[in-house]
Amino acid sequence: MSQKAGKKGEFHVVNHSVPRRDGRAKVTGKATYVSDVKLTGMAYAKVLRSPYAHAKILSIDASGAASRPGIYCVITGNDLEGLDPYYGHAVKDHPLLAIGKVRYVGEPVAAAVAVDERTAFEALEHIEVKYEELKAVLTPEDAIAKDAPLLHEKKFEAGALRGFEGEVAAGRGTNICQEAHIKWGDVEAAFKKAAAVVEGEYYFPMTYAYAMEAYVAIADVNDNGVTVYSSAQHPFMVRHDLKSIFNLPVSQVRLIVPFVGGGYGSKSYTKIEPLAAACSWKAKRPVKLQLTIEEAMLTTRSDDAYTWMRTAVNADGKIIARQARIYMNTGAYAENSPLVVEKSTNRCVGPYSIPNVQIDNCSFYTNTVPASSYRGFGCAQVTLPGESQIDELAAKIGKDPYEFRLANVAKPGEEFFPKMRSFDGTLKEDLDIAAKAIGWKEPLAKGRGRSVACSGSDAGAYPLTSTAVRVHADGSVTILTGSTELGQGSHTVIPQIAAEELGVPFENVHVVSSDTAITPYDRSTGASRTTTLMGSAVLEASREAIQQMVVMAADVLKVKVEQIQAIRGGVRCGEAQLNWSEVISKFYGLPDGEVIGRSYIRKSGKFAQLPVFWETACTGVEVSVDQETGKIAVEKLATVGDVGLAINPALAEGQDLGAATMGMGIGLFEELIYQGPQLMNGSILDYRLPRFSDLPKQVELHLVENQDGVGPYGAKGGGEASLNSMAANIANAVERAVGVRIRSAPLTPEKVWRALKERKQ
Amino acid sequence: MMPLRRFQIHQPKTVKEAAEMLSHYGEKGRLYAGGTELLLAMKHDLLRYEHLVDVKTVPGLDEIEIGNASLHIGTTVTHRAIEQSVPVREKFPVLAEMANHVANVRVRSTGTLGGNLCFAEPHSDPATLLLALQAHVHVQGRSGERTLGMEELIVGAYETTLATDELLIGIDIPRIAKSQRAAYLKFQTHERPTLGLALVLDVDGNGRSITKARAAVGSVSPKPCRSDQADALLAGPRDKVEKQLDDAAKVLADAADPVDDLEGSAEYKRHLIGVYLRRAFVKALA
Ligand SMILES: Cc1cc2nc3c(=O)[nH]c(=O)nc-3n(C[C@H](O)[C@H](O)[C@H](O)COP(=O)(O)OP(=O)(O)OC[C@H]3O[C@@H](n4cnc5c(N)ncnc54)[C@H](O)[C@@H]3O)c2cc1C
Repeated sequence: MSQKAGKKGEFHVVNHSVPRRDGRAKVTGKATYVSDVKLTGMAYAKVLRSPYAHAKILSIDASGAASRPGIYCVITGNDLEGLDPYYGHAVKDHPLLAIGKVRYVGEPVAAAVAVDERTAFEALEHIEVKYEELKAVLTPEDAIAKDAPLLHEKKFEAGALRGFEGEVAAGRGTNICQEAHIKWGDVEAAFKKAAAVVEGEYYFPMTYAYAMEAYVAIADVNDNGVTVYSSAQHPFMVRHDLKSIFNLPVSQVRLIVPFVGGGYGSKSYTKIEPLAAACSWKAKRPVKLQLTIEEAMLTTRSDDAYTWMRTAVNADGKIIARQARIYMNTGAYAENSPLVVEKSTNRCVGPYSIPNVQIDNCSFYTNTVPASSYRGFGCAQVTLPGESQIDELAAKIGKDPYEFRLANVAKPGEEFFPKMRSFDGTLKEDLDIAAKAIGWKEPLAKGRGRSVACSGSDAGAYPLTSTAVRVHADGSVTILTGSTELGQGSHTVIPQIAAEELGVPFENVHVVSSDTAITPYDRSTGASRTTTLMGSAVLEASREAIQQMVVMAADVLKVKVEQIQAIRGGVRCGEAQLNWSEVISKFYGLPDGEVIGRSYIRKSGKFAQLPVFWETACTGVEVSVDQETGKIAVEKLATVGDVGLAINPALAEGQDLGAATMGMGIGLFEELIYQGPQLMNGSILDYRLPRFSDLPKQVELHLVENQDGVGPYGAKGGGEASLNSMAANIANAVERAVGVRIRSAPLTPEKVWRALKERKQ
Repeated sequence: MMPLRRFQIHQPKTVKEAAEMLSHYGEKGRLYAGGTELLLAMKHDLLRYEHLVDVKTVPGLDEIEIGNASLHIGTTVTHRAIEQSVPVREKFPVLAEMANHVANVRVRSTGTLGGNLCFAEPHSDPATLLLALQAHVHVQGRSGERTLGMEELIVGAYETTLATDELLIGIDIPRIAKSQRAAYLKFQTHERPTLGLALVLDVDGNGRSITKARAAVGSVSPKPCRSDQADALLAGPRDKVEKQLDDAAKVLADAADPVDDLEGSAEYKRHLIGVYLRRAFVKALA
């Protein structure tokens, strides 16, 4: 084989910013999302939600609703006999409709299925539910109180697909959902001999991963099995849950995911699919369940985190110890939070090389909206404390925080985290670029401050992925991929890789995606894994197709296989040259037929050691603070994605800008606010999202491409990491601008104003 | 937002017919202008009406006319129309600029000035500015017309003095004299303002002293608010007034009596009144 991984500068298709495949269809409104799908005989469901945070359901009388014209049926927790109604890939704690008890305001209690949405909605108020209110648990503090009521009385088994090796703590007679602990060195001793220590308490808020498309699913349950169209990031994970709810073989459960209108973690794992499927099961017809944004805000959120942290440095300015205790509020159901706990624990170490570490993390069930994956996956929660303390410590010992970082970040190839893959990024280079981009050393105007910060996460990307690359007799290519296109650009990047390998024009490579009955298994589209893992699978499958075609060419040319040389786009044998179209057509004796290249990626070989990559990025900001009102404006932003190799640089930069903007939202104003059991700002009129007018006037997006990842051509994942450091960055920059240290996000104007006022007094 | 419940829409041809319809449907009916507030509240299931009376089908209510003494704005004139009106921009720049910063362009293109005032949502920009500008509104019901000052129209959060059969038909704003300086500023981090502050100053020829002042603060409490005492502190020689700005702000804040809510604490809003009164003062006299 003559094919070799190329070096930057030698590529034909990858590492070029070809225009995104779905761009035109999306901006002209022609792209198909689940809400555009209509099945014959399709009915519509609307959901009745709990007005109580914690209550027993004494009775439900749905007869008044069920008898209304246009209603097919009403389904409640009492109608689920014949199904296994609890799901959850980590902890099977989540009933598809409340059974006997509600655990948060907004939990689905019943659904009406009707000829149209309005009829379904109008029926809801005719369902009579009698509740007996129970004491609610709203914060981790409430949850550990001695007399705290239990949210979950059942025992749970750990889900086989939970994504980590430890046990789950849920269901052991407390409100603890999950615990994680890491420890190395001797923390106590290190703090005793430290030259300087900083210590503080930090709060990272509950946030909502706003996607333009709210959750939507269309389910068709019939004698042939279960088919669901859904806005799901991970169709294969959802299939697993549906298979167990309906007790069916995998082959009778089919998930189809067209374009997804944004996910950011909020659409990872199972959400409304079981409810939609149960509606169809009872109504005996296809049912569409489309949530509103307000309902989506009652479906999932990020875990909020209370962190106590301390960090110590020695006289040489080396970080010698870090210790943290984290309490996370995971809401009513575990969803993916056990993995968030595991990841946030690891990510406290940051991309620093610290000889003594102890992190203790515990998440609690509370009577609030269930928390789950959120872009960055627990990293943003702990990077606020982690990167704040780096600046606090630098200030304490009189060092420039940028220089202090340079002296302490993990080095390329360093095994800075026991038992994990050695570090595969180049943080010094990244920091240097970020600092230059925001003019670190230049003079600052009054009321302005700058900060650079970084994060390095042990990517949650689990290596289990397969694909098929079909080379057709005309030389065009169809790739079957389980990766969903959420806007991140997988439908562009994947064909770029196949086109690079097969030497065919990018225009001739197309993707069929995310239909579990057709596309080979892919564990998920999350944790920035698609380019690295699906990309590797597509690369290998393309090469496997080439191997097959080399054998076919030998047959066609009646020579030995060894005499065939693969060249770009075809084969050569002496003087004879054939392109793929000729190989296939001659082999079959007709201008038709195909070759199917396959590959299966698992946790072995170069993917044996986790994480498969460290997701690494730096961001830099310059902020200005209106000292009279406390209002912050981000004036400059720089992102540096340490991505190994950008298959499509424009898309990679777009991911970084999106992630940094989301992180800025958390830093400045995003927060779900509960007063008592009631979510107070559960609509996007009240929940403040970043707007174009909030964007910094000056933005620089940089990529560092040292081809140091395990993915195709040295690529690694990106797209989450620029979020993680933003809240800390803003807090650090505010401190440098106006001298106040704020340890909770968001840094609202009033919070900043209060801090300034307290400093004056 | 849920699907809208079923309702009937009615299209009156005259104000009188609209008044008759409103009277006829009573609690079950409501006037419908741009619908930016009404339909949103109905989609959130906060309000329910079986009959909507579309005021936009009544001709003549969507006009802007500048007279010698005042500016007349018909009730169905949109924020966008105000912001883009050449005479308003020339003669009432403070109004055009305020309108330009209401909501977003989609709401401005559909939402009407009348709808904004009649909904009496506490975070209204126009209600605050119009209070400072001494605007009057014309109201018509089955039994005739009334003219009300802003304070007589809006009496609380979502509360006006309009009778069931009454509709607002237009707003009159006195001409801004050559000797008058006006400014409107708002502090906004969310979808609607946290604070709006309007200031109208009558200055003597050389601008050294203020002969009369009228300040209004809105969004911080259920309805826009002003204070004679604060206005008195804002009149006098300019350097004296500058020294009294903090006192005036305090008096205005006492009168407004801000409330704690998601926009901020009462304490913070009181502080903002001080900051914005000073900024508005500087801007008005710039
Ligand atoms: C997203 C968003 C952001 C906003 N931001 C701002 C902001 O920054 N500043 C601000 O000031 N406002 C803001 N608003 C409010 C906006 O100005 C109003 O929505 C709009 O002006 C209302 O006009 P409308 O014609 O749509 O009223 P409608 O929704 O049609 O009516 C509102 C109410 O007024 C009544 N009504 C309407 N016309 C009359 C009449 N002639 N006589 C009697 N009753 C009548 C209706 O019966 C109804 O109760 C915002 C609104 C939205 C939705």
